[in-house]
Amino acid sequence: MVSRFTRRVALTVPLSLWSTGAFAFGDGGAFHPRLLRAGNHPPLGVRTSGAGRWSWELVRRTSAPARLVPAEVAADQSSLQAEPFVIWAGDADPGPLSSAEVRGLTRFLRLGGVLVVDDSNPASGAFGRGARRELSRVLPESAPVRLDSGHVLFKTFYIVDRPVGRVLGPPELSAIVRGKNAQVIFLQHDLLGALARSGEGFALETEPGGLEQREHAVRLAVNIAMYVLCSDYKDDQVHAPFLMRRRARQKP
Amino acid sequence: MTLAALALAEGVPQLTLFAVLGLALCSLAFLAFELRKREGAAVWVLLSGVLSLLLVGAAVLRPARVNTRGVSVGAKIVVLVDQSRRLLLPSDGKMRRDLALHAADALSKHFSGARVALRGFASGELRPLVVADALAHINPSELSDESDLRSALNALSQEPGERPKAIVVVSDGRFTRPSATQDDASLRELTLALGAPIHTVAVTEQAPRDASIRSIRTSGATVAHQPLALTIEIGCGGGLSCAEVPVTARELRQGVEPFVLASGVAKMTGETATVELSITLERAGARLVEVSIEPPEGDTIPENNTRILTFSVTRDRLRLLHVAGRPTYDVRALRMWLKSDESIDLIAFFILRTDEDNTETSEDSELALIPFPVDELFTEHLPSFDAVILQDIDAVTYKLLRHLPALANYVRGGGGLIMVGGPSAFAGGGYARSPLEAVLPVELGGGEPPFDTADFVPRYTEAGRSAPVLRGLTELFADELPTFTGSNTLGPARPNAITLWEHPDRRAARMPMPVLALGESGDGRSIALGVDGTHALAFSEFADRAAGRAYGALWDGLVGWLMRDPRYEALRLELAGACIAGLPAKLRLVRLPGSAGDVSLQLTRLGPQRTPVLTKSVKDPAPGPLELELGALEVGGYSASARVGAAPPTRFDFACERGGPAWSDSRPDPERLARIAKVSGGRAVSLSQLSELPVPDPIEVAAERSSVPLLPAWAWTLAASLALGGHWYARRRQGLL
Repeated sequence: MVSRFTRRVALTVPLSLWSTGAFAFGDGGAFHPRLLRAGNHPPLGVRTSGAGRWSWELVRRTSAPARLVPAEVAADQSSLQAEPFVIWAGDADPGPLSSAEVRGLTRFLRLGGVLVVDDSNPASGAFGRGARRELSRVLPESAPVRLDSGHVLFKTFYIVDRPVGRVLGPPELSAIVRGKNAQVIFLQHDLLGALARSGEGFALETEPGGLEQREHAVRLAVNIAMYVLCSDYKDDQVHAPFLMRRRARQKP
Repeated sequence: MTLAALALAEGVPQLTLFAVLGLALCSLAFLAFELRKREGAAVWVLLSGVLSLLLVGAAVLRPARVNTRGVSVGAKIVVLVDQSRRLLLPSDGKMRRDLALHAADALSKHFSGARVALRGFASGELRPLVVADALAHINPSELSDESDLRSALNALSQEPGERPKAIVVVSDGRFTRPSATQDDASLRELTLALGAPIHTVAVTEQAPRDASIRSIRTSGATVAHQPLALTIEIGCGGGLSCAEVPVTARELRQGVEPFVLASGVAKMTGETATVELSITLERAGARLVEVSIEPPEGDTIPENNTRILTFSVTRDRLRLLHVAGRPTYDVRALRMWLKSDESIDLIAFFILRTDEDNTETSEDSELALIPFPVDELFTEHLPSFDAVILQDIDAVTYKLLRHLPALANYVRGGGGLIMVGGPSAFAGGGYARSPLEAVLPVELGGGEPPFDTADFVPRYTEAGRSAPVLRGLTELFADELPTFTGSNTLGPARPNAITLWEHPDRRAARMPMPVLALGESGDGRSIALGVDGTHALAFSEFADRAAGRAYGALWDGLVGWLMRDPRYEALRLELAGACIAGLPAKLRLVRLPGSAGDVSLQLTRLGPQRTPVLTKSVKDPAPGPLELELGALEVGGYSASARVGAAPPTRFDFACERGGPAWSDSRPDPERLARIAKVSGGRAVSLSQLSELPVPDPIEVAAERSSVPLLPAWAWTLAASLALGGHWYARRRQGLL
C-alpha cells in the first residue's frame, strides 16, 4: 500500500526534483543510474537526461523504485562505492585513467558493482575502445566476452532478442564476467542517447529510426536495471518452463 | 599349620650355587677318568672322593632346615550383578534389580568362607557394588541401556592381581552382549581368558504378559524433507494374545499437539510382527518422534508401549524461500549472498510488476514474468522450506493475508522466518494484528505511521554485543554500524525475545525501539529486521572498509541462528547421563568462550502445555561446565531453554523414558545364562538354588618362615677336611699322587 503510494507520488514529481519525501525510506535501495566521470570527461550534454529517463521508465513499467534525478560520481571519489551501479558514457577516447581512478574502479568492481560502458558514438567506436583499454588496467585478469542470447540480461523483465539503443548497433552484448556476474557491460548502441530528453520529447533521433527501436532501447534499459537489482533471478529454474514457452510463442 | 623343609642352599646366591655344582661335577668326572682302569681298592678312592666333594659342597652351601607357618584363606569369587535399566522391570511384583541385589547378598553369605567381591556391570565398566546402598537408592548415572557381560568379563580378565577362582553372574539373561545367537565356541572363548568357571543366577525365569516395541530401525541418515523408513518390531510375550497391534508415529513439538507422522497396524504371526512406517521430518536439528502401540487387554508393562526417539535431522541443503515485494539494492544484496552459498537451495519470488505498471505491451509473450504463485507456495510447498524470508512485501496487495495463519503455524512447527524491513514490511505491509504478528519477536502496534524516514545509526544492546549471532559482524566493526535511512515502526520485544539492535531515538512502550530482534515461537525461530538498508554492509563506503565481508557476516549469523547452527548459540546443552522418568536427571551447560553472566534455565514439556515445569537460575557461576538438577521428570519430551547473561537463549530438546531400549524386550533369557555356565564349567541356578553353587577350595598362604642350619659352619669345614685327608690317604695307597 505504502509502496504504491510512494511510487505514484514519484511519478508525479518533475524529473528535476529529488523524490525525497515519498522515497526516503527505501530510497537507499532504489535503482539509481549514476554517471561516471573518469579520464577525459567532456560533458555528455543532453545524454545526461537519459539517466533520469531510465529511472522514470523503470518506475513506470515495473515495481522497482528508482531515483529520478541523475547524479554524477567521479571514479576517484570514495562515493563511487556508495551504490552498486554506474554508467560510463562518452563519444571519444576517454584517455588514460589516473591511478586514483583505477584504484576507485577496482574497489567498486571488487565489491560487486555493475558498470555499463555506453558508447555514444558507436560509428567511431573510439570511446568503446578506449574504455576497454583502460578497464584492462582495472581488471587485467578479465577480458570481455560475448554474452549469448540466452544470457539473463535478455530476460530480466522483457524478453529481448537483441540489444538496441539510439543506433541499431551490433546484435550482441559483450561483458566482463566475474564469478557468475556480468560486471562490466559494453554497449555499442548509445543507450543514453535513446533515452535522452529535451523538453517534452526525446532529444535524439534513433537510427535507422522508428518508435519501435526506441521502445526496444527502453526495454533494454529496463532489463539492465532489473539485472542490477535482481542479478540472475530470471535464471532460476522456476522461471525456465515459462520463458521457454514464451520464446516459442514469440518465434513461431 | 606349620610345614618343615630342607633347604640345600639357604641365602646363597644362585651363581655361587651353580659354580659349586659345576666344580663338583668336574671333579667327579676327573676322578672317574683317573680310576677307569683300576680295580680293587680303587673303590675307596672313589667313595672318599665323593664324600669329600659332598662335605666341601656342604661347607660352602651350608644346608639348613626351613620351617614355614601358613594360613588358609578363602578363594576369591567375583559376583557380577547386572545393573542395566532392564533390571528395573517388574517381576512377580518386585523389581528385578531388587531380586538381583538380594541374590548378591545371599551369595555373599553362601560364600562366607571365600572372599567375595561384588561388582555391578552394565555398559562394560565394572563398578564396586554395596548391596545396602544400591537397595537404598538408584543412581541414574550408573544405569545403562546396555547389559554388556562380554565387556565386563574382558575387563575382569584384564584386572591385575589375583585371578578369581569362580565368577557368579546375577542377571535375567537378556544381555546385549553376548547376544542370544552367539555360538558355544565363541562363548567358550569369552570365558577361557578368566580360567575360572562362571556360575549364573537367573533372577527370573517367567516372561511377563507384555506387548512391547522390541526395536525400531531406520535406514540411512535422517535428512529434512526426505522420507525415512522406520521398521518397527512389535513383540508379544508371556502368553499375551496379540492379533493386530496399531502403531502410531508422532512428532513432539513445542506449544502444539503432537503431529501424527504415520500410523499402521502390526499383524502378529507368532510372538513378533514387523511394521514399516514412512515418516518425513521437515525441520532439521534434534527432533523427537514418539512411536506408540495400542496393546491388547492384559498387558502388564505399559511403559514399553511407547518409545521416544531423538532424531538428529540434517539437511541436504538449506531450502529457503525468499519473497520480495519489489526489487531494490537490498533485495539484490540478499539474493547475491544467498546464491553465493552452495549449501542453500534458494527459491525466490520477486514482485517485478504490479497491476498499475504500464509495460507498454499487451503481449505476455514479450515479458519474462510469471504469476506470483502465492497459493501454491504457502500451502503445498510451505512445509518443504527450512525458512521463509519476507522482504518488504505487502501482505494485502499480494494476497498473503489468507496464508498468514498457515505461515504462523509453520513457524510454531519449527520453521524459520525473517521479516526484512521496508515500506511494505511489518505494519506497513498489513501484518499488524495478523496471525503472523504473534510469531514475530516484536509487537507491531499499528496506531503509528508504519515507518519513519530519518537517518539513524542503530545501537547495539548488551545482548547484541555478546550474542554469537553478531560476533562475525562485531569482529569486523566492533559496535560500529552504518547509517540507515529510515526504520520500520516496531513495538516492544515480546517476552523471551532478544533485541540486538535498538533505535537511538525512537521508543516503543517507553523503551528504545527494537531494530533487530530474535525470538522463538513454538518450535520455530523468527527474526525481525526493521530496516531495508543492510545492503550498506555489502556495498557502501562503510562496507568497503571490510571489503564487503560484513554483509555475509551478518546474514551468516542470522540464518545460522535461525537454523540453530551451534556456532551461533551461546551455550551447549546436554544431558549428564540418561533421563529416566521418575529418577533425578541432570543437565550439563557448557558456556562458549566469551559468554559470561548469570545462567537461567526454563524447562518446558513438549506439547500444547506452555507453562514451564521448571525454572532455575544460577548467579554468575564459576567458569567451566555447569550441571543443573532437573529433578525427577515424567515420561515425555522436554525442551530446555537456557540463557547466559543477555545472550539469546539456546534450546535443547530431549526425551525422558521410563523403559527405553532396555525395556523393549521384557522376557528373561535363562537359556543364555545356562549356556554361559555350561561352556565355562560353571553351574546355572535359580534364586532358590543359590546354596547349590560349589564353594571353591581355600588357598594356603605363607605367613611366617624361619631357617636353622643343619650344622655349624666349622663342623662342615672340619668334616670336609677329614674327608679330604682320608681321600688323600686312599689315593696315596693307590699310587695316584
